[in-house]
Amino acid sequence: MTFEELYQLYWQKVFRLCMGYVNQHDWAKDLAQEVFITVWQQLPKFKAESSVGTWIFRIASNHCLRQIERDQRIPKTKLPKELPEAHLSDKDAEIAYLYKCISELPETDRLIISLELEEVKQADIANILGMSEGNIRVRIHRIKDKLSKKFKHNEREYTSERTVE
Amino acid sequence: MKENIHLKELWNRQQTAIPDAKGILKKAQSFQKKHLRKIIFANAALLLTSAFLIYVWNYFQPELLSSKIGIMLMVSSMLLFLTVYNQWIPLLLSNYSEINSHVYLQKMLKLKKKQAFLHRQMTSLYFMLLSSGILLYMYEYTSLMSLSAVITAYGMTVFWLALNWFYFRPKIIKKQEAHINELIDKLQEIQKQFD
Repeated sequence: MTFEELYQLYWQKVFRLCMGYVNQHDWAKDLAQEVFITVWQQLPKFKAESSVGTWIFRIASNHCLRQIERDQRIPKTKLPKELPEAHLSDKDAEIAYLYKCISELPETDRLIISLELEEVKQADIANILGMSEGNIRVRIHRIKDKLSKKFKHNEREYTSERTVE
Repeated sequence: MKENIHLKELWNRQQTAIPDAKGILKKAQSFQKKHLRKIIFANAALLLTSAFLIYVWNYFQPELLSSKIGIMLMVSSMLLFLTVYNQWIPLLLSNYSEINSHVYLQKMLKLKKKQAFLHRQMTSLYFMLLSSGILLYMYEYTSLMSLSAVITAYGMTVFWLALNWFYFRPKIIKKQEAHINELIDKLQEIQKQFD
């Protein structure tokens, strides 16, 4: 596969993974670009020991973890506030809420759930992150549970707000 | 199951325009060039200073051994700095695309710990070599001066070196360490998540 083909095929997937990790559009875009720069640099050395998708997600996960260096340079108080939800449709607000919830999880959980939602096999997630498959399975279950509870809670608040209005 | 589909559906709706691939490649090339320029600049600056010191040795032909040792100490301080700097840059930039995130994090943690230690040692060693080099080199020329001139020359140099050693050196070390230690703490925190 050529770089161009990989780029077209994986851009959105890598962007979503980065977005789940940092939850800031521009930052996620920069991060996704950095991932593809590494893909471009390392592609000639790529050994087909794992699938190319696993390889790209591994690069993306390592790049995400590396963001703590950048994270520290941005003072938390200067981070942009959440988008005003009034401008968002219900669906957009739900998408924004999902990404917000994911980005608030511990770092490894963010990567696990993002890869799961990208439909990467659990064995491959274990391979990418260096955890056991059993651990991944348990963690996915817990994260999904946590997310659905948050969603239910959010829906209740949203409905009661609407009723008051 | 329905919950799962709902999450996946929401997840997949997040899209962004695909930037032009050529733009990415251009960025990759400029990124490489920028780092190369940085390495070349640091090397050129210190190598030129070293070359200048060797030229001074050759031009003034110092007679005393102390002057020669002085110049050698100053040059070696710069060469030491460059050797460590040139070895570290590729390590800090490497992405380890072949290893899993757990191992990657362990390597990053090890690297940062080593970096924290080296920074402290290197900064002190660099200042020590450079200072003793300057003081030794001065001896031959100040020995020909009057006592008051010797006191002034050594007084000013020692003041400048002391300022570097007691004020700038700890400040530089503290700044570097604060940043690296914060990173190490954060890395250790993430490391625990793998257990």
